[in-house]
Amino acid sequence: MSTHVRSQEEIAARVKALESILIEKGIMTTAAVDRLVEIYENEVGPQLGAKVVARAWTDPAFKQRLLADATKACADFGIGGLQGEDMVVVENTADIHNVIVCTLCSCYPWPVLGLPPNWYKEPAYRSRIVKEPRKVLREDFGYELSDSVEVRVWDSSSEMRYWVLPVRPAGTDALSEAELAGLVTRDSMIGVGPAASPVS
Amino acid sequence: MRPDATELGEARRRVEALVADLPAGRPGEHAFNEPWEIRAFAMAVAAYHNGQYEWSEFQLSLIESIRQWERSGRDPEDEPWSYYEHWLTALETVLAGSGLLSESMLDERTKSVLATPRNANHQHAHREPVAVDPPVH
Repeated sequence: MSTHVRSQEEIAARVKALESILIEKGIMTTAAVDRLVEIYENEVGPQLGAKVVARAWTDPAFKQRLLADATKACADFGIGGLQGEDMVVVENTADIHNVIVCTLCSCYPWPVLGLPPNWYKEPAYRSRIVKEPRKVLREDFGYELSDSVEVRVWDSSSEMRYWVLPVRPAGTDALSEAELAGLVTRDSMIGVGPAASPVS
Repeated sequence: MRPDATELGEARRRVEALVADLPAGRPGEHAFNEPWEIRAFAMAVAAYHNGQYEWSEFQLSLIESIRQWERSGRDPEDEPWSYYEHWLTALETVLAGSGLLSESMLDERTKSVLATPRNANHQHAHREPVAVDPPVH
Protein backbone atom coordinates (compact mmCIF):
# COMPACT_ATOMS: atom_id res chain seq x y z
CA MET A 1 0.00 0.00 0.00
CA SER A 2 1.32 3.43 -0.81
CA THR A 3 1.53 6.11 1.83
CA HIS A 4 -0.21 8.59 -0.45
CA VAL A 5 -3.49 9.72 1.06
CA ARG A 6 -6.15 8.91 -1.49
CA SER A 7 -9.02 11.20 -2.27
CA GLN A 8 -12.58 9.91 -2.09
CA GLU A 9 -12.66 10.08 -5.87
CA GLU A 10 -9.55 7.89 -6.19
CA ILE A 11 -10.91 5.36 -3.75
CA ALA A 12 -14.28 5.28 -5.47
CA ALA A 13 -12.48 4.65 -8.78
CA ARG A 14 -10.46 1.85 -7.20
CA VAL A 15 -13.61 0.19 -5.89
CA LYS A 16 -15.18 0.48 -9.33
CA ALA A 17 -12.04 -0.98 -10.94
CA LEU A 18 -12.04 -3.88 -8.49
CA GLU A 19 -15.68 -4.60 -9.22
CA SER A 20 -15.08 -4.64 -12.98
CA ILE A 21 -12.15 -7.06 -12.59
CA LEU A 22 -14.13 -9.41 -10.36
CA ILE A 23 -17.06 -9.37 -12.77
CA GLU A 24 -14.75 -10.19 -15.71
CA LYS A 25 -13.33 -13.10 -13.75
CA GLY A 26 -16.83 -14.39 -13.13
CA ILE A 27 -16.51 -14.08 -9.36
CA MET A 28 -19.60 -11.94 -9.03
CA THR A 29 -22.29 -10.24 -11.03
CA THR A 30 -23.37 -6.64 -10.83
CA ALA A 31 -26.80 -7.94 -9.88
CA ALA A 32 -25.39 -9.81 -6.88
CA VAL A 33 -23.63 -6.68 -5.63
CA ASP A 34 -26.69 -4.54 -6.32
CA ARG A 35 -28.80 -6.94 -4.33
CA LEU A 36 -26.56 -6.55 -1.28
CA VAL A 37 -26.32 -2.79 -1.73
CA GLU A 38 -30.10 -2.57 -1.80
CA ILE A 39 -30.22 -3.73 1.80
CA TYR A 40 -28.32 -0.65 2.88
CA GLU A 41 -29.13 1.96 0.27
CA ASN A 42 -31.26 4.06 2.59
CA GLU A 43 -28.33 4.55 4.91
CA VAL A 44 -26.26 6.76 2.62
CA GLY A 45 -28.02 10.04 2.30
CA PRO A 46 -30.49 11.57 1.90
CA GLN A 47 -29.91 13.16 5.31
CA LEU A 48 -27.58 15.69 3.71
CA GLY A 49 -30.16 16.89 1.23
CA ALA A 50 -32.75 17.00 4.01
CA LYS A 51 -30.58 19.40 6.00
CA VAL A 52 -30.19 21.66 3.00
CA VAL A 53 -33.95 21.69 2.39
CA ALA A 54 -34.72 22.48 6.05
CA ARG A 55 -32.29 25.41 5.90
CA ALA A 56 -33.93 26.68 2.73
CA TRP A 57 -37.34 26.49 4.41
CA THR A 58 -36.21 28.55 7.38
CA ASP A 59 -33.71 30.96 5.82
CA PRO A 60 -35.02 32.90 2.78
CA ALA A 61 -31.57 34.30 1.93
CA PHE A 62 -30.13 30.78 1.87
CA LYS A 63 -33.00 29.61 -0.30
CA GLN A 64 -32.21 32.34 -2.84
CA ARG A 65 -28.58 31.27 -2.90
CA LEU A 66 -29.56 27.62 -3.24
CA LEU A 67 -31.81 28.31 -6.21
CA ALA A 68 -29.22 30.58 -7.81
CA ASP A 69 -26.28 28.18 -7.42
CA ALA A 70 -26.94 24.91 -5.63
CA THR A 71 -23.38 23.65 -6.01
CA LYS A 72 -22.03 26.68 -4.19
CA ALA A 73 -24.79 26.75 -1.55
CA CYS A 74 -24.27 23.04 -0.80
CA ALA A 75 -20.55 23.63 -0.35
CA ASP A 76 -21.53 25.51 2.84
CA PHE A 77 -22.60 22.13 4.20
CA GLY A 78 -19.43 20.43 3.05
CA ILE A 79 -21.41 18.68 0.32
CA GLY A 80 -20.03 18.17 -3.15
CA GLY A 81 -16.46 17.91 -4.34
CA LEU A 82 -17.21 15.90 -7.44
CA GLN A 83 -15.75 16.43 -10.89
CA GLY A 84 -17.08 19.92 -11.26
CA GLU A 85 -20.58 18.95 -12.21
CA ASP A 86 -23.33 21.41 -11.48
CA MET A 87 -26.26 20.78 -9.22
CA VAL A 88 -29.47 22.63 -9.91
CA VAL A 89 -32.31 22.81 -7.41
CA VAL A 90 -35.82 23.29 -8.82
CA GLU A 91 -38.45 24.62 -6.46
CA ASN A 92 -41.92 23.16 -6.06
CA THR A 93 -44.71 25.68 -5.54
CA ALA A 94 -48.50 25.60 -5.36
CA ASP A 95 -48.58 25.81 -9.18
CA ILE A 96 -45.51 23.93 -10.35
CA HIS A 97 -44.35 20.45 -9.45
CA ASN A 98 -40.90 19.24 -10.48
CA VAL A 99 -39.67 15.70 -10.83
CA ILE A 100 -36.22 14.42 -11.81
CA VAL A 101 -35.09 11.57 -14.02
CA CYS A 102 -32.04 10.52 -15.96
CA THR A 103 -33.39 9.37 -19.29
CA LEU A 104 -30.18 7.71 -20.48
CA CYS A 105 -28.61 6.13 -17.46
CA SER A 106 -28.93 6.96 -13.78
CA CYS A 107 -27.27 10.34 -13.23
CA TYR A 108 -28.33 11.32 -9.75
CA PRO A 109 -27.22 14.01 -7.25
CA TRP A 110 -25.79 11.42 -4.87
CA PRO A 111 -23.77 13.81 -2.69
CA VAL A 112 -27.10 15.14 -1.40
CA LEU A 113 -29.47 12.22 -1.94
CA GLY A 114 -27.23 9.21 -1.38
CA LEU A 115 -27.54 6.20 -3.66
CA PRO A 116 -30.35 6.14 -6.19
CA PRO A 117 -33.11 3.66 -5.42
CA ASN A 118 -33.30 0.77 -7.87
CA TRP A 119 -36.54 1.95 -9.47
CA TYR A 120 -34.83 5.22 -10.44
CA LYS A 121 -32.40 3.21 -12.58
CA GLU A 122 -35.04 1.05 -14.23
CA PRO A 123 -36.07 1.71 -17.84
CA ALA A 124 -39.74 1.71 -16.80
CA TYR A 125 -39.39 4.82 -14.66
CA ARG A 126 -36.93 6.53 -17.00
CA SER A 127 -39.17 6.34 -20.03
CA ARG A 128 -42.64 6.61 -18.50
CA ILE A 129 -42.03 9.60 -16.23
CA VAL A 130 -41.27 11.67 -19.34
CA LYS A 131 -44.31 10.51 -21.30
CA GLU A 132 -46.94 10.52 -18.60
CA PRO A 133 -45.56 12.07 -15.41
CA ARG A 134 -48.91 12.70 -13.75
CA LYS A 135 -50.00 9.11 -14.28
CA VAL A 136 -46.70 7.62 -13.06
CA LEU A 137 -46.82 9.75 -9.91
CA ARG A 138 -50.36 8.59 -9.24
CA GLU A 139 -50.04 4.91 -10.17
CA ASP A 140 -46.51 4.06 -9.07
CA PHE A 141 -46.08 6.38 -6.13
CA GLY A 142 -49.64 7.03 -4.96
CA TYR A 143 -49.03 10.75 -5.30
CA GLU A 144 -52.06 12.59 -6.65
CA LEU A 145 -51.37 16.11 -7.92
CA SER A 146 -54.08 18.67 -8.36
CA ASP A 147 -55.10 19.18 -11.99
CA SER A 148 -54.18 22.85 -11.68
CA VAL A 149 -50.50 22.03 -11.16
CA GLU A 150 -48.02 22.05 -14.04
CA VAL A 151 -45.57 19.13 -13.94
CA ARG A 152 -42.02 19.68 -15.14
CA VAL A 153 -39.66 16.77 -15.68
CA TRP A 154 -35.94 17.50 -15.54
CA ASP A 155 -33.34 15.25 -17.19
CA SER A 156 -30.13 14.95 -15.20
CA SER A 157 -26.86 14.32 -16.98
CA SER A 158 -23.36 13.99 -15.61
CA GLU A 159 -22.84 17.71 -16.33
CA MET A 160 -25.96 18.96 -14.63
CA ARG A 161 -27.84 17.17 -11.89
CA TYR A 162 -31.21 18.29 -10.72
CA TRP A 163 -32.98 17.80 -7.45
CA VAL A 164 -36.19 19.12 -6.01
CA LEU A 165 -36.89 21.59 -3.21
CA PRO A 166 -40.23 20.28 -1.92
CA VAL A 167 -43.03 22.47 -0.56
CA ARG A 168 -42.81 23.01 3.18
CA PRO A 169 -45.67 21.06 4.78
CA ALA A 170 -48.46 22.99 6.47
CA GLY A 171 -48.54 23.19 10.25
CA THR A 172 -44.76 23.28 10.68
CA ASP A 173 -44.27 26.89 11.82
CA ALA A 174 -43.22 25.87 15.32
CA LEU A 175 -40.71 23.23 14.25
CA SER A 176 -36.95 23.61 14.54
CA GLU A 177 -34.67 23.23 11.54
CA ALA A 178 -33.63 19.77 12.73
CA GLU A 179 -37.25 18.70 13.15
CA LEU A 180 -38.04 20.00 9.68
CA ALA A 181 -35.15 18.00 8.22
CA GLY A 182 -36.82 14.89 9.62
CA LEU A 183 -39.81 15.52 7.35
CA VAL A 184 -37.77 15.67 4.15
CA THR A 185 -37.85 12.31 2.42
CA ARG A 186 -35.69 11.09 -0.42
CA ASP A 187 -38.77 10.74 -2.60
CA SER A 188 -39.75 14.37 -1.98
CA MET A 189 -36.36 15.51 -3.31
CA ILE A 190 -36.73 13.33 -6.41
CA GLY A 191 -40.21 14.76 -6.82
CA VAL A 192 -42.18 11.52 -6.60
CA GLY A 193 -43.78 12.39 -3.26
CA PRO A 194 -44.44 15.26 -0.88
CA ALA A 195 -42.42 16.01 2.25
CA ALA A 196 -43.92 14.20 5.24
CA SER A 197 -46.46 15.94 7.44
CA PRO A 198 -45.67 16.43 11.12
CA VAL A 199 -47.26 13.93 13.47
CA SER A 200 -49.62 15.97 15.60
CA MET B 1 -41.38 -1.22 -8.20
CA ARG B 2 -40.33 -1.13 -4.58
CA PRO B 3 -38.41 -3.97 -2.92
CA ASP B 4 -40.34 -6.08 -0.46
CA ALA B 5 -39.49 -4.91 3.07
CA THR B 6 -39.74 -8.35 4.68
CA GLU B 7 -37.46 -9.92 2.12
CA LEU B 8 -34.91 -7.13 2.57
CA GLY B 9 -35.10 -7.53 6.36
CA GLU B 10 -34.34 -11.25 6.03
CA ALA B 11 -31.39 -10.60 3.71
CA ARG B 12 -30.09 -7.98 6.09
CA ARG B 13 -30.23 -10.32 9.07
CA ARG B 14 -28.18 -12.87 7.15
CA VAL B 15 -25.52 -10.30 6.26
CA GLU B 16 -25.44 -8.95 9.77
CA ALA B 17 -24.91 -12.38 11.27
CA LEU B 18 -21.84 -12.52 9.02
CA VAL B 19 -20.38 -9.17 10.01
CA ALA B 20 -21.22 -9.42 13.72
CA ASP B 21 -17.79 -10.85 14.55
CA LEU B 22 -15.76 -8.31 12.63
CA PRO B 23 -13.86 -5.59 14.43
CA ALA B 24 -16.13 -2.58 14.54
CA GLY B 25 -13.35 -0.03 14.72
CA ARG B 26 -15.17 2.61 16.68
CA PRO B 27 -18.80 3.01 17.69
CA GLY B 28 -20.99 3.59 14.68
CA GLU B 29 -18.22 2.67 12.24
CA HIS B 30 -20.46 0.35 10.27
CA ALA B 31 -22.51 3.28 9.02
CA PHE B 32 -21.83 4.29 5.44
CA ASN B 33 -20.82 7.79 4.43
CA GLU B 34 -20.04 7.30 0.77
CA PRO B 35 -21.56 5.11 -1.93
CA TRP B 36 -18.21 3.38 -2.60
CA GLU B 37 -18.23 2.14 1.00
CA ILE B 38 -21.43 0.17 0.45
CA ARG B 39 -20.09 -1.13 -2.85
CA ALA B 40 -16.88 -2.35 -1.20
CA PHE B 41 -18.88 -3.83 1.64
CA ALA B 42 -21.18 -5.69 -0.74
CA MET B 43 -18.29 -6.99 -2.87
CA ALA B 44 -16.59 -8.60 0.11
CA VAL B 45 -19.80 -10.41 0.98
CA ALA B 46 -20.47 -11.40 -2.64
CA ALA B 47 -16.95 -12.76 -3.18
CA TYR B 48 -17.27 -14.75 0.04
CA HIS B 49 -20.64 -16.17 -1.10
CA ASN B 50 -18.86 -17.14 -4.31
CA GLY B 51 -16.43 -19.22 -2.26
CA GLN B 52 -13.33 -17.11 -2.90
CA TYR B 53 -12.17 -17.18 0.71
CA GLU B 54 -13.16 -18.16 4.20
CA TRP B 55 -14.86 -15.39 6.11
CA SER B 56 -12.29 -15.81 8.90
CA GLU B 57 -9.52 -14.96 6.38
CA PHE B 58 -11.25 -11.72 5.54
CA GLN B 59 -11.78 -11.01 9.21
CA LEU B 60 -8.07 -11.51 10.02
CA SER B 61 -7.06 -9.38 7.07
CA LEU B 62 -9.32 -6.55 8.26
CA ILE B 63 -7.96 -6.78 11.80
CA GLU B 64 -4.42 -6.69 10.42
CA SER B 65 -5.04 -3.61 8.29
CA ILE B 66 -6.53 -1.72 11.23
CA ARG B 67 -3.71 -2.84 13.51
CA GLN B 68 -1.08 -1.63 11.06
CA TRP B 69 -2.73 1.74 10.85
CA GLU B 70 -2.89 2.03 14.63
CA ARG B 71 0.76 1.03 14.99
CA SER B 72 1.90 3.49 12.38
CA GLY B 73 0.96 6.30 14.75
CA ARG B 74 -0.13 8.50 11.87
CA ASP B 75 -1.65 11.80 12.68
CA PRO B 76 -5.43 11.55 12.20
CA GLU B 77 -5.31 15.18 11.06
CA ASP B 78 -3.21 14.16 8.05
CA GLU B 79 -4.95 10.90 7.39
CA PRO B 80 -8.49 10.71 8.68
CA TRP B 81 -9.65 7.34 9.89
CA SER B 82 -11.73 5.43 7.35
CA TYR B 83 -13.09 2.05 8.36
CA TYR B 84 -13.97 1.15 4.80
CA GLU B 85 -10.50 1.93 3.48
CA HIS B 86 -9.32 -0.86 5.75
CA TRP B 87 -12.19 -2.95 4.49
CA LEU B 88 -11.02 -2.37 0.91
CA THR B 89 -7.41 -3.15 1.82
CA ALA B 90 -8.54 -6.37 3.51
CA LEU B 91 -10.55 -7.37 0.44
CA GLU B 92 -7.62 -6.67 -1.89
CA THR B 93 -5.34 -8.68 0.36
CA VAL B 94 -7.50 -11.81 0.51
CA LEU B 95 -8.15 -11.71 -3.24
CA ALA B 96 -4.42 -11.31 -3.94
CA GLY B 97 -3.81 -14.21 -1.55
CA SER B 98 -5.94 -16.50 -3.70
CA GLY B 99 -4.10 -15.31 -6.82
CA LEU B 100 -7.09 -13.51 -8.29
CA LEU B 101 -5.72 -10.03 -8.20
CA SER B 102 -2.45 -8.19 -8.27
CA GLU B 103 -1.89 -4.66 -7.07
CA SER B 104 -0.51 -3.60 -10.47
CA MET B 105 -3.58 -4.97 -12.25
CA LEU B 106 -5.85 -2.99 -9.95
CA ASP B 107 -3.71 0.17 -10.21
CA GLU B 108 -3.90 0.01 -14.00
CA ARG B 109 -7.65 -0.47 -14.03
CA THR B 110 -8.14 2.35 -11.52
CA LYS B 111 -6.19 4.70 -13.79
CA SER B 112 -8.44 3.89 -16.70
CA VAL B 113 -11.56 4.42 -14.56
CA LEU B 114 -10.26 7.83 -13.50
CA ALA B 115 -9.47 8.72 -17.11
CA THR B 116 -12.97 7.88 -18.34
CA PRO B 117 -15.52 10.64 -17.94
CA ARG B 118 -18.42 9.37 -15.90
CA ASN B 119 -21.35 8.47 -18.08
CA ALA B 120 -19.23 9.24 -21.11
CA ASN B 121 -22.29 9.18 -23.32
CA HIS B 122 -24.36 11.45 -21.13
CA GLN B 123 -22.47 14.65 -20.50
CA HIS B 124 -24.54 17.19 -22.29
CA ALA B 125 -26.33 19.55 -19.90
CA HIS B 126 -30.10 19.75 -20.33
CA ARG B 127 -31.12 23.24 -19.29
CA GLU B 128 -34.85 23.03 -19.93
CA PRO B 129 -37.38 20.51 -18.64
CA VAL B 130 -37.36 17.36 -20.77
CA ALA B 131 -41.15 17.25 -20.46
CA VAL B 132 -43.86 19.62 -19.28
CA ASP B 133 -47.33 18.43 -18.42
CA PRO B 134 -49.48 21.57 -18.25
CA PRO B 135 -52.38 21.99 -15.84
CA VAL B 136 -55.49 20.03 -16.83
CA HIS B 137 -58.46 22.33 -17.45
